[in-house]
Amino acid sequence: MQEFLQQLVTGIAAGGIFASLALALVLIYNAMGLVNFAQGEMAMLATFVAYALISRGMSYWIVFPVTLVLAFGGGIVIQRIVIKPVERAPILTLVIITLGLATLLNGLAGFVFGYVPRSFPSPFSAQSADILGVFVSYRDLGVIVVSGLVLLAVYLLLQRTTVGLTMRAAAHHPEASRLLGVQVSWMLALGWGLASAVGAVSGLMVAPILLLEPNMMQSIIIYAFAAAVLGGIESPLGAVVGGVIVGVTVNLAGAYLPFVGGDLQLAVGLAIIVAVLVIKPNGLFGRARVRRV
Amino acid sequence: MSALLELDNVHAGYGPTSVLHGVSMSVEEGAVVSVLGANGAGKTTTLRAITGGVRWSGDIRFNGRSLRRMSTEEIVRRGIAHVPEGRGICTELTVDENLKLGSHLRRDGPEVRKDYDRVFEYFPVLKERRRLSASTLSGGEQQMLALARALLMKPRLMLLDEPSLGLAPIVVRSIFQIIRSINESSRVTVLLVEQNARIALDLSSTAYVLEVGRVAVHGESAELQGNESVRRSYLGY
Repeated sequence: MQEFLQQLVTGIAAGGIFASLALALVLIYNAMGLVNFAQGEMAMLATFVAYALISRGMSYWIVFPVTLVLAFGGGIVIQRIVIKPVERAPILTLVIITLGLATLLNGLAGFVFGYVPRSFPSPFSAQSADILGVFVSYRDLGVIVVSGLVLLAVYLLLQRTTVGLTMRAAAHHPEASRLLGVQVSWMLALGWGLASAVGAVSGLMVAPILLLEPNMMQSIIIYAFAAAVLGGIESPLGAVVGGVIVGVTVNLAGAYLPFVGGDLQLAVGLAIIVAVLVIKPNGLFGRARVRRV
Repeated sequence: MSALLELDNVHAGYGPTSVLHGVSMSVEEGAVVSVLGANGAGKTTTLRAITGGVRWSGDIRFNGRSLRRMSTEEIVRRGIAHVPEGRGICTELTVDENLKLGSHLRRDGPEVRKDYDRVFEYFPVLKERRRLSASTLSGGEQQMLALARALLMKPRLMLLDEPSLGLAPIVVRSIFQIIRSINESSRVTVLLVEQNARIALDLSSTAYVLEVGRVAVHGESAELQGNESVRRSYLGY
């Protein structure tokens, strides 16, 4: 039982990491109906930036917010330079562009930082806390708290502020929003910035576990896709719930199903994607879309 | 005094299809002006040209300034509220959030609060349903929400595209009564596009009748109503 609870907590922590990246995917999907395949690589690059700052002697807790701000700016720059010129292109064109962007960012990180895995500091101690007989590592707890806070901040921004309201309106009803004076194009850019910052959190949280290298996010993005699809791809809450479910499932499967072990965990993530798309394509929180033709 | 809104030989269309072939109009401050005509005559396109939703040539001036090359957002910020065809309600959002989108650019807090009170006086049903999703409203209630939201923008000019569309006659009457009081007590100029010529002419002081992208007839609403041949050939009643 104790071991099960420990695995559960580790799964929730992994879920927080997946949820952050899944939320980033959902933010961009909502804004333009596009799955951003470069989201993981954007997060990886942001983590490298954080690494560079930390290795220059800056404290982790200064680097963390600075990285989020830089990632936010980077997301806006990418939207303005790469995405905006092709905003009205067919969706497949946009998908290919995000795939190209992913390859480009991956190569860029490899070119600048090399492919040797580097250890990335964790701000949390490697010790475990004894909570009612269950040993929980401070790292897991820290990841859960940080991702929880970030997700809460995004929720408050979207639901409780005027900027959030205009972002949501611009995403769902661009024409009507324009007539209300909402600067739709800039709202899309803000969406990219926000997604980039939220995604960067997942990179920063996962780097101490996986070691930092240009391909670090390539498995994480699969889990994030699984989480986003499970949550219904357009629901921010769904992304969070989906992230936790995927994290716990993958972790428990790895721990208790001998044939899964550590090697087939990624396959569990892919199986979740396939299962959701076959059984309940709208996910847990998505709405069936009716289109008049 | 020059008019609040002037269209001067406006040509407009979608891609290779041109819809307006030289429309000229003028809307005096404080007036209610209606634009009538059959389906496809260019009524909606006229409104869309004004708020930059369609490419046009010629000139459109609002408050003496040309709107050429301005984006929709800029035009709207100058004081034009456009309630588009289909009402433009954000059905993903609540009633309250839709209203907030109307007032989100305003910085005159106390005035905004007064305007909310007035809007809820006009449309008490919106106050009851503030927290509900706008998608739960009936067609008439959505039209009320669209008008309320436009009013909260504190516009000098309101463009209304077929406010009667798809609504029961009794609802249409009450909505037109409210449009009249918005015009009279809030001093908002109204440019109204309607298929329902009878009710539009009752409300407006001046009217333009469009026929395939041109102004076929224009004049005092009362005069057009009284003119048998105009009524028969263009207004269909």
